Amino acid sequence: MAQVALNVPAPDFSLVDLTGKTIRLSDFNGKTNVLLVFNRGFM
Amino acid sequence: MAQLRQDFAEFVKRKTSILVVGPESEAAFSKYWEENSLPFMGLPDPDHKVLKAYGQQINLFKFGRMPAQVLVDLDGKARFIHYGHDMTDIPKNAEMLSLIDSLRSG
Repeated sequence: MAQVALNVPAPDFSLVDLTGKTIRLSDFNGKTNVLLVFNRGFM
Repeated sequence: MAQLRQDFAEFVKRKTSILVVGPESEAAFSKYWEENSLPFMGLPDPDHKVLKAYGQQINLFKFGRMPAQVLVDLDGKARFIHYGHDMTDIPKNAEMLSLIDSLRSG
């Protein structure tokens, strides 16, 4: 399975957040760092 | 999640946004966010498109997904990647915060 490499651009993506807003990873470029947390589940 | 919420202000201070991506539905996310008053962004990914793109490992034995964290810098580059081996294998906030500090000074 593909994994992300270090020090190269992270794969961009867009997902809709809980307020219905589309969030794109690249929207944060030049603005803030991003800590992406992949959560297994809430159970 | 509780761990991250506790130190949220420290991440904000370091100009770091926290995005939580998970395989649950939007409804499950909303419920969890509401119950726990989480300050960061929740991004439901029920089709697993981002989870797959980032290669989050699937533990077939447990039919679940292990936790993973990726720190992306201002240039959009991945600077730290942690793939957890089990549910408790999550980097400590202190570790992440000092890493962010090192990005800024470097």
